[in-house]
Amino acid sequence: MRISELPEIGTKYEIESPTGDKVAVIFLATGEIELYVLEAGAEKPSVTRLTSEEARRVGSVLTGAMLTIEREDVEVSFSEISDLRINIHICPITEDMVGKSIEDLAIRKRTSVTIIALSRKGQSIISPPPETVFEEGDLIVAIGEREQINACQRVILGRS
Amino acid sequence: MTFMVDLGIITVSCLALGLASKYLRQASIPAYIIAGIILGKSGFDLISSYEFVQWLGKIGIILLMFYIGHEFNFKGIKEPGRLFAGCTDFFVNFIAGFSLGLLIGLSLLEAFILASAVYISSSAIVISSLIENKRLIYPEAETVVWLMVFEDIILAILLVVLTSTMSGSLAMIPVSLSTTLLLIVFILALVRRLSNFISPLFERDDEIPILLIFALIFGFSAIAHLLSVSEVIVAFFLGSALSGAKSFKKLFGATISFKNLFLTIFFFSFGMMFPLKFAVSADFVLALLALIILSILGKFVSGALIGKRLYDSLETGLRIGAYTTPRGEFSIVLLAVALGMGTGISELLVSLVVAYVIILSLIGSFFARHGDRISKVMVGSIKHFINHIHSTRKYG
Repeated sequence: MRISELPEIGTKYEIESPTGDKVAVIFLATGEIELYVLEAGAEKPSVTRLTSEEARRVGSVLTGAMLTIEREDVEVSFSEISDLRINIHICPITEDMVGKSIEDLAIRKRTSVTIIALSRKGQSIISPPPETVFEEGDLIVAIGEREQINACQRVILGRS
Repeated sequence: MTFMVDLGIITVSCLALGLASKYLRQASIPAYIIAGIILGKSGFDLISSYEFVQWLGKIGIILLMFYIGHEFNFKGIKEPGRLFAGCTDFFVNFIAGFSLGLLIGLSLLEAFILASAVYISSSAIVISSLIENKRLIYPEAETVVWLMVFEDIILAILLVVLTSTMSGSLAMIPVSLSTTLLLIVFILALVRRLSNFISPLFERDDEIPILLIFALIFGFSAIAHLLSVSEVIVAFFLGSALSGAKSFKKLFGATISFKNLFLTIFFFSFGMMFPLKFAVSADFVLALLALIILSILGKFVSGALIGKRLYDSLETGLRIGAYTTPRGEFSIVLLAVALGMGTGISELLVSLVVAYVIILSLIGSFFARHGDRISKVMVGSIKHFINHIHSTRKYG
């Protein structure tokens, strides 16, 4: 990625693919954003001008941030670390889990998923200790990679 | 009330011609100058107080230089080839203009002004055409933008040299030069010193920020005027001193609006004083033609040298030449500053530069738009020419 300041115009971010295609994003001083695509060997670039709102939408599609909001699943990724994606899963506990602690269920050991919060009768418990015993009506917030969340769904919650 | 009538005439005529130029996809600078020529001294003579309009125009130059100073940033100077590019652009075009000036019988001072006008491209036209013609992804766009920055640095130096040498006798030059430099240092130091006091004032939501900025601009201009230092130089360095203040960013947008308004009036005011009587003489037309051809060639030559050195490509170089062809605001500003400093400038030079800027801003924006095609055709014909020489050598 090349970054260059263009005085009186704005800032240019440029990336070239191994095949020679070029993509440039230019933040204009006016606040608008221009997206250039120049295919290798093409005479002229394709250019589109986006408002900052539109650019944000395109950007979040590309980075995958807030990619899926499916049921209670949220996938978050970070622009700084492009391959770090975290799924946050929110779901009610099943009857089988009532009366057992996080430790008893060995959630971390069996699925690598971490329970980061519990919602109990409208109160939230952040970072519940392993000995926390689930009660009926609890909502759990778990984080992990997509595969780990899927494993948790199968093994702990007994869903397919 | 006559001032009101003048203002009405100026704004309405500039609006009409400005809009027409935008619809025709042309540079608007010549439109405002032409509005001035039509309604001014050489035309219908409709302006009642030329002095009043010229004063408004002067504010335009001051705000333009303030703007340039604010945007000015020479961080990029260290990148490879940039110093070479800037210097090549300067030497080729300045020397070309200077020689032609002497050739047509101008004084040394006038030749210096003409050379500066020939050298300095119009940042406004060049930059807007880079954006409009979608050239920003190409590497040479960065070089072109850099050339505009380098020209701003040279412009500041040229203005300091010009105003110091024009301030009077030869013995006075070191005095006025040191006064100028001292005042610049004083402004830079004072703004830095007071930044803790000034910065929070810029963040207010009332009329104080805009008042403060104009108090700084006009206050320092007044001091400059009393010391017989050029106000535009002071405005330039005030702008660059304030570019460090983060809180000024928001307000800067408002000063740009003022700059745009008063700069339009400035172009009008320049057109309205344009002496048309020269434009009919054959000598004038010849000199103008020579000047136009030389300036176009000059930018192509400097562009080609830069392109060869930086990109190892003649075609890229010729594109740089085409993009930097437009001349405009700075050529006229330099002339206006020189005129404001005093005597020794002939009407011939004034009309030459004004006519030159009108023509080259139009030709220049055409060149900038079709830069890729023009450079391709030129490279093609150069190759053809070389082949032709080779073949005649073989068989002839």
